[in-house]
Amino acid sequence: MEQALRPSTGSGSAGQDKATLLGDVRVLDLADAKGVYCAKLLADLGADVVRVEPPGGDPLRNLPPFYHDQPHPERSLYWFHFNTNKRGITLDLERADGRALFRRLVQRADVLVETFPPGHLAARGLGYDALAELNPRLIVTSITGFGQWGPYKDFKASDITSLAMSGVLTLAGLPEDPPNRLWGSQAYHMGSVQAAVGTLMALYERELSGLGQQVDVSLQEAASMAQETAMQQFDIKGVIRRRVGGRRAFPASGIYECADGHVFLSIIAGYGATWDDMLSWMASEGKEGDLLEPQWQEVIAVVNDFRSLMALAVDAKKLAERLRQFQHVDQLVEAFLRPQTKQGLYDAAQSRRIMLVPISSPADLLASEQLAALEFFHQVAHAELGATLTYPGGPYHFSATPWRIRQRAPLIGEHNDEVFCQELGLSHQELSLLKAAGAI
Amino acid sequence: MADNLPSTSPRLPLAGIRIADFSWFGAGPIATKLLADHGAEVIRFESQTHLDGLRIAQPVPDAKVGNLNCSGYYNNFNSSKLSLFLNLSKPPSREVIWRLVKVSDVVVENFSPRVMEGWGLSYEEARKVRPDIIWVDQPMQGLRGPHKYYAGFGATITPLGGMAYLMGFPGRPPLGTGTNYTDYVINPGHLAISVLGALRYRRRTGQGQHIEMSQFESSVSILETAILEHTANGRIPERLGNRLPYAAPHGLYRCRGEERVVTYLSERGPAPEPKAERWVAIAVFTDAEWRGLGAALGDPAWARDERFATLAGRKAHEDELDRHLEGWTRQRPAEEALFTLQAHGVAAGVVQDAEDTLRHDPQLRARGYYVRLNHPEAGQTAYDGPPFQMSRTPGSLRRHAPLLGEHTEYVCKELLGYTDDEVAQLIVDGVLE
Repeated sequence: MEQALRPSTGSGSAGQDKATLLGDVRVLDLADAKGVYCAKLLADLGADVVRVEPPGGDPLRNLPPFYHDQPHPERSLYWFHFNTNKRGITLDLERADGRALFRRLVQRADVLVETFPPGHLAARGLGYDALAELNPRLIVTSITGFGQWGPYKDFKASDITSLAMSGVLTLAGLPEDPPNRLWGSQAYHMGSVQAAVGTLMALYERELSGLGQQVDVSLQEAASMAQETAMQQFDIKGVIRRRVGGRRAFPASGIYECADGHVFLSIIAGYGATWDDMLSWMASEGKEGDLLEPQWQEVIAVVNDFRSLMALAVDAKKLAERLRQFQHVDQLVEAFLRPQTKQGLYDAAQSRRIMLVPISSPADLLASEQLAALEFFHQVAHAELGATLTYPGGPYHFSATPWRIRQRAPLIGEHNDEVFCQELGLSHQELSLLKAAGAI
Repeated sequence: MADNLPSTSPRLPLAGIRIADFSWFGAGPIATKLLADHGAEVIRFESQTHLDGLRIAQPVPDAKVGNLNCSGYYNNFNSSKLSLFLNLSKPPSREVIWRLVKVSDVVVENFSPRVMEGWGLSYEEARKVRPDIIWVDQPMQGLRGPHKYYAGFGATITPLGGMAYLMGFPGRPPLGTGTNYTDYVINPGHLAISVLGALRYRRRTGQGQHIEMSQFESSVSILETAILEHTANGRIPERLGNRLPYAAPHGLYRCRGEERVVTYLSERGPAPEPKAERWVAIAVFTDAEWRGLGAALGDPAWARDERFATLAGRKAHEDELDRHLEGWTRQRPAEEALFTLQAHGVAAGVVQDAEDTLRHDPQLRARGYYVRLNHPEAGQTAYDGPPFQMSRTPGSLRRHAPLLGEHTEYVCKELLGYTDDEVAQLIVDGVLE
């Protein structure tokens, strides 16, 4: 485990260190929870992201969980997680002097990420058209519940309402319970990922045209692809998909209880291991029941054949005839898995190429040999807490421009001097006056 | 010039970029769809001897079962792309590959490392023919480490990656998302981010690079604070169902059902039923939104109860609060609840199904999110459009998904410079099948 942890410089300013993918890109981050991950994606690839907070601190600093459960704007783990590698300034955009300073920042910026209701910035003279006049190379990435235009553009949205409107939520959960929210603001994650794709596409295109543009992201649209086949099922077959829970009609497909938690098992005909492999595994421990007897050969042949299963999936009557047989097979699988541990099952199954994985808890992930070998986790120093915390890493490894956490999330106004005085050229006296007036 | 190519326009942001796409199933092809729909020329390698499983997956029109060009699952993920027949088990296929790599900007693959090693395909080999190539591997668990050869697919990554454990209702078993969740937006999105960043970096430095994007790491990286909560506070987050610690009411509320009969795809196959089960999602974070909710409901006595006036009070009496609110939603259709709540500044959303999103949703229709394309064998079907709208250089679905091997001749002759005779020989040798 230890060797997997990489040191980080922890605090201070983002230095011009080793090659980074986006080291020359300057981003202003005005996003709320909908887009804070978009700017993190850019910051973690080396972009200089300046998070603009209202004086006194960002509302996201009040979100739990808190370090050692002590609620405080400098202790929010939510804030820590989503603002790695960013610098932080305070600025009141409701004041004319605040907006004047913001315009100067915009002149030097490549990207602005924002999540205000459509029209909110324009009403303050900071809409896309006004900002593009100041800086034609600027890319404005706007993430909202429903996009910048259309009959629902002014509707309010949160993570759960966006999952609902996108068609994703209707697929998750057990039939006997309400549909079940995906964990951890996934509509915001999907919206932010799509927004980062759009932002980078616009940055790439700007290399050729020299011009910026606006990238309009609707959370509803950004999540739509996560409906899997539901849209095509309705379009092509006229059938509506809805939640069916963790288990499917076919045996050995879904979530199973074991001695210390749960595992997910899937034997799909035509991919990887077959039922013969599964039965030989069960038989090696004397748990195959009667499944190797001749009367079950025909059933095993059916579940071993992708096309027969696909045909059953669309034929309710034929499937119903098979269900008792399938249940018998599944009960034996269940009894075989139940007394074993998830790690034991994982290793044994994989040695037979059987697709079984643990339902990993965060503790399992921290203990994962594989994530350790990939050096996934990163150590980040928090001098103010007198602590070094272990953070999740990024989704990718670049050979020339490594993904790194160079510094922890900013403290309130931590980079005011650096940004306003050293970069915009304000005197310390001017900064003090702006602070006293409440603009910073 | 062949007449079966996706339309081109210099206004598309990725016009002029060529991608050799070895990926299959969902997580890779969706990333290259994003790039293809914005102008990149994406060439899928396909073989009748090693079919992309989505070509034989449902939904397929009833009259077309067995037709390899009619899966809606496959077609949706492959708009604007080309398809090249190539049988990688035939050694002469290597020369075809290296010729294509030489004229490509990016290579994307998501096979098991075992398969890639067997074929002798890697970044190190590719850079010998194209020094500035951008090569992306998207294996399940990485190219290194003790589990690099472990078997998996989209359905195993959601549980392995931690999402399934965290989902579910308090005191109930873990559930999962009901889909291969990270396959559709998270993994493809991360992949597209890496490619676009690397393309820009190459343009500025002349340097290509190798990107390793394991689906496992991509999936663990989006668990919000679950990792930090464990490492900083030694706690594993509880399953919260539809609630949030900092909002109330927050959840799904049952609405009045419809009598109209529709056909649901149940775990036992298609079944006609009234569309009786309707839900609205409601999320109230602030006291101002709470007062808006009260006004939307016509200011009922229970909503004026002092116990509900603050977030702390609403959290302390959340079960009672939810019962009162559901008493209101039960009496009306979900869409009426949506409009009434939104008119009072409350975040609300109908739990829409595919009939709602594809056929009725006024916002998606106005914005033209779903795109209908004519396909010579599958007929007219709906595709997901671009997931973001660029104001100056918008993406567009330039052509329906390719027929299996449709562009073999074009790619071999026009891009790779094979003569008619050479192509004929490759066909005879079974390389192009």
